[in-house]
Amino acid sequence: MTTNPRHLGFKGWLLLMDLTPEKLRLIPMVVLIVIGCFGLLNSKTILRSLLSLDVIDTATISIFVLIAASAGSQTPIETTSRYSSYSDPYPQAIILTAIVIGFATQALLCAIALRLGRRSPMLRYRDLEK
Amino acid sequence: MIDYQILFPFLIFLPAFLGFIGCVIPKITFPLSILMLLGYATSSLNYIGRDIAYQFTLVGDGGIQFSIDSYSFPLIFGSCITLLIVFGLFFKKFTHYYYQICLVLLTALFISFTTVDLVSMFISLELLGFSAFLLIADRNDRKSLFNAFQYLIGGGLAMLIYLIGVVQAFTFTGSFLLEDLVKAPETALCLIVAGLLTKSGVFLCGLWVPNIYSHANSQSSAVLAGCVTCAGIAPIARMSQILNPISDSMIVIGVISAVIAAIYAVFERDSGRALGWSSVSQLGIAILSPTYACSYAMQHGICKALLFSTLYSDKVDGNSDSEVINSTQNMQSNHLVTKEFLRLVVFVVASLSIMGFPFLAGFITKNWIKYDIPYEAKIIYTTAALLTSTVYARLIFDRIKDFSRQPYARLILNLKYASRNISDLFASSQNYILILSVFGLILASTAAPELFTFTAVQSAIVSAILGAILFVSVVGIQADEFVKPVTRTLDLVGAPFLVAALLLANLIYLKI
Repeated sequence: MTTNPRHLGFKGWLLLMDLTPEKLRLIPMVVLIVIGCFGLLNSKTILRSLLSLDVIDTATISIFVLIAASAGSQTPIETTSRYSSYSDPYPQAIILTAIVIGFATQALLCAIALRLGRRSPMLRYRDLEK
Repeated sequence: MIDYQILFPFLIFLPAFLGFIGCVIPKITFPLSILMLLGYATSSLNYIGRDIAYQFTLVGDGGIQFSIDSYSFPLIFGSCITLLIVFGLFFKKFTHYYYQICLVLLTALFISFTTVDLVSMFISLELLGFSAFLLIADRNDRKSLFNAFQYLIGGGLAMLIYLIGVVQAFTFTGSFLLEDLVKAPETALCLIVAGLLTKSGVFLCGLWVPNIYSHANSQSSAVLAGCVTCAGIAPIARMSQILNPISDSMIVIGVISAVIAAIYAVFERDSGRALGWSSVSQLGIAILSPTYACSYAMQHGICKALLFSTLYSDKVDGNSDSEVINSTQNMQSNHLVTKEFLRLVVFVVASLSIMGFPFLAGFITKNWIKYDIPYEAKIIYTTAALLTSTVYARLIFDRIKDFSRQPYARLILNLKYASRNISDLFASSQNYILILSVFGLILASTAAPELFTFTAVQSAIVSAILGAILFVSVVGIQADEFVKPVTRTLDLVGAPFLVAALLLANLIYLKI
């Protein structure tokens, strides 16, 4: 029996957009990315762009983790009592490197901000871009 | 029997290993690294143009896949030669840890040239970004620090965009391999390509290029122009080989980049910035054809490294004691006159090579690309070549004018000093490098003798002459009002978004 999804209200809308729970979980992360990009493109000082970059970084990493968890949410460690649904360990292993790289980027940018802050303590782009 | 499975990873990670060793024992490592670079250059030169491919997987099943093939060899050769030129010409001016950074950079380059795994590509590009950041900040004044900051934040954002594209592709394909991108959706492709274009510095994403090249040290600019921007070329070429929509979009982006950046370069007064804009334009030409992209990037990288090394006469950016060096007698006794003249010759020859003058390396690569692209793109390609000739006509003119103003310039033409000048030619090791590079550029043109048809030579010479005429006609235009340097961070950071959006629109609706 086929029903028209338009008559089912909110549930139907979800069906129409082909939104599964896996996709719905990603929406907050996408919102975070948008917030980060907005902050990066509208920041007036160096520190705010650093924070925005970190927000985007975290959102990207969370997307990786959520996608790895779509197969199942249990820890992928083999023990005596076996679980039934493991999460995919491959993306999680790979994102570790990205976390470290993001940290290194932040550290380097903070070091540069320290050096630049000696001459212009407000760290405003307006002063630095002359 | 050598196990290639072990040999190739060892060769890839050897430069970084040497670089880190060099932080502890710098004395021995420098000659060792020169030897190593020579070894890489000769062995990769053997394989250029041959159809050899060797694939292996690191760390067993499901590990990182590498593919050493015809895309990698020219770029490996180019980056090794660039580093050799920089090491040879500037080793007296190296600050602490400069060449160690260069060696780590070389490993990052090798990984990005050979890997076919998207996440390893991300890691190598980030490592490349860090090394390039240190090279830019090497001058250590406020403006170069701010430039380095802009590069790092722009590059970091571009790589995050790339990573989002990678994870979207992963949900559709289930693997991180480059060849599986065929099944990936358009949005993922756009995000990945936008990240790669930012790293390789093609127009609109590559707005950081002219700012940084003009202000960094000569040696840093040479390394940046010669190797760093090549890193994005290999993956883009690999992608456009297997993905038809991407290769079509690359032609659009490449043509736009080639023409607009060349126009910027024509109206730019500062030589360093003009070279930067011309670099953007040349890389735009390189991504037009996936088959010859790597060879073109190699030739352009080597010539750009030579150009940046010889852009200023030695004493301008080097010695502080101008009084001693300015006296003509002193110049004569220090063999500096012939050296300056040689630098001028190298500058002119490298410029002519990028212009595509016959019997030089650039002629070959330019014609390869020219016969490989579709007819519609060929017209605009020729326009870009003409504009490039104009840019380099002006650069050559400025450089010769600069040289002839020096007090020692007349010594070189004076017959009385001729024998002495010739004997000075072999006085220092740097002269050997300069002479060798000129002969190398000329010898490289013998690689493809079938290209030397009458029409090709004729069109190359005519384009050079037309470029010179065009230069004379635009030299009087006051362009300062409408060509302003792009320095705002917002413009540099926001460009990848714009390019990703345009690419998406192209792939879904326009379908050029």
